[in-house]
Amino acid sequence: MEHAVELEELGMRITEASRFIEKAQEQLSRRIIGQHDVIKRIFIAMLVNGHILLEGVPGLAKTLIIRTFAAAMNLKFQRIQFTPDMLPADLIGTMIYNPKDMEFYPRKGPVFANVILADEINRSPAKVQSALLEAMQEHQVTIGTQTFPLQEPFMVLATQNPIEHEGTYVLPEAQVDRFMMKVIVDYPSYDEELEIMLQSATNAIASPIIPVVQPDDIARARALIDLIYVDPRVQRYIVDLVVASRKPSQYGIASLEAMIEYGASPRASIFLLLASKAHAFLQNRAYITPEDVKAIAYDTLRHRIRPGYEAEADNISSDDIIRQILQHVPVP
Amino acid sequence: MNGRSEGYAFGSIKWLFLLLLAVFPMCMVFAFPAVAGGAVTGITVKVTPDSVFVGDRIHCTIDVRHTSNEIVALEGIDSLSVQPFELINHKQSSAIVSPGTRKESFDYELAVFGRGRQSIPLVTVALRDSAGTDIKRESYRSSSTVFVKALTDSTMRELRPIKPPLSPSIPLLLILPVILGVFGVAGLVLLLLFLLKRTVHTSAEKVDPGQVAQRKLRKLGSRLSAGMPPPECYEELSNIMRTFLEKHYRISALEAVTQEIERDLKKLGVSGFESIMNLLAQADLVKFADSRPNAEESRQSLRKAEEVIRSARTARSSEE
Repeated sequence: MEHAVELEELGMRITEASRFIEKAQEQLSRRIIGQHDVIKRIFIAMLVNGHILLEGVPGLAKTLIIRTFAAAMNLKFQRIQFTPDMLPADLIGTMIYNPKDMEFYPRKGPVFANVILADEINRSPAKVQSALLEAMQEHQVTIGTQTFPLQEPFMVLATQNPIEHEGTYVLPEAQVDRFMMKVIVDYPSYDEELEIMLQSATNAIASPIIPVVQPDDIARARALIDLIYVDPRVQRYIVDLVVASRKPSQYGIASLEAMIEYGASPRASIFLLLASKAHAFLQNRAYITPEDVKAIAYDTLRHRIRPGYEAEADNISSDDIIRQILQHVPVP
Repeated sequence: MNGRSEGYAFGSIKWLFLLLLAVFPMCMVFAFPAVAGGAVTGITVKVTPDSVFVGDRIHCTIDVRHTSNEIVALEGIDSLSVQPFELINHKQSSAIVSPGTRKESFDYELAVFGRGRQSIPLVTVALRDSAGTDIKRESYRSSSTVFVKALTDSTMRELRPIKPPLSPSIPLLLILPVILGVFGVAGLVLLLLFLLKRTVHTSAEKVDPGQVAQRKLRKLGSRLSAGMPPPECYEELSNIMRTFLEKHYRISALEAVTQEIERDLKKLGVSGFESIMNLLAQADLVKFADSRPNAEESRQSLRKAEEVIRSARTARSSEE
């Protein structure tokens, strides 16, 4: 019973530490209507140092969500519009010559912020994409001969338009894999749309978002997330889900074998565990259940499983494949 | 006058002679038909068609009339395999033409090669008595010919179309029983499978999942008393409950998380919903939060589970 008592105590600490999220969510709900799942995933990524690839048609308030989130979380926000003529220096910064003292000085680029919105990331050529993805991975940037660490927390939210592919540079699989989650931003419901219309169709200036998070709140939350208990059964369940995407016939879903070109990478297991922990944290729980894993499985796996030719011919998406996997892998 | 009557008589004789000359061959044709075909009596040869392309087939029918006590054999068939003919098939039939007279028909299917006008080869007709002794043996060459056209020649302006290969014609009467047989066997197999499935289904339906779950719970209770660790007991209890819920309420519970089961049971409006969820939540705590209940707590949970199952069975039987 000792461990259970510890977990109970941890649960109480988590409840206390997660208060700032409730406050931030209150601020967000003042400006954003609906999109609860997207907001939840942004919090999850922020809590475990992850990055998000957002996909949705234009006009679904992707930028507004991120801007409001950064404001409520008291974080420095930077929006970078990716264009075909962009250079890595436009993103990370460059060395500027000062004729007065005849020396080069580093000029930091827009990547030096806490929350980066990389708008339409696939509009820029590969060298710019990889410059950003390197910053995401290393949390540091080198300008000239000097290396600068990025501010913590550092989170990139990249957007992609799923319907317009002309003149775009598709992100390579290796780079997509670095995003913790790929979140699909969907249309709002009828009632939500009505509310959005009534709230936005006005000339009145919206009241500003109040920053409600203290600088060390996020760091404290991250420390507690590391303590969340993961039972070996749940650990195995996570690995089972990932392995099932590579070898579905081992889990009684031989029909998926031809549907998958390649399955999820080991990064998927790592991010699935981290995201599950953050999900449990948001539920004020000190342990993970399979519910947490299932809740974020789609977002963590959909960009890591590539449907094969047969799946494309049958109009089967990676979400359909994940659904099959979740239905067939036994829950502990 | 005499001169005139003499001249008249001479003219009449001349006309009579000419008439006889004309009628004689016609009488001969009716009396001896073979005379018209060639030198040998009673043999006729018919060739169709008389104009073909290289490699095409012709039918050559040789009819031989003979008395009923004779046996006819056509020899020299082998000679048909010499150029430009190739024997493909042959049939023989016999018919009575008039009392004491028979007609033997030999039908040859021949592939024709070479080029230009080709004569039908020499055949030998043998007439034998019933003992097999030759009575007569005569060679016969037909006057019929076949004109063989080359596939290409200098006058051609475009290619001739390639003929499709001949498909063997299988008589319907031969196929029909086979088809009926295949359908019959397939029908029988399907019927057997249906009966087997129904039997299995009926026997499976007869097993009450509640009864099975209660039996398993009792066994689990006795294992707990025998010293089974309580966490293992909870894991087993969770499995028993999920199996029962899946079979009793026909929901997917084995591959579902507790939250999904909660959602499904809520939809169904199951009585004792809270007790079920409490049990599952308790089992989840043991499984995922490393909770360590003691033996007494485990026994209480088993009793609760039995109560839940009993009330679900009672509710089902009262509904029925």
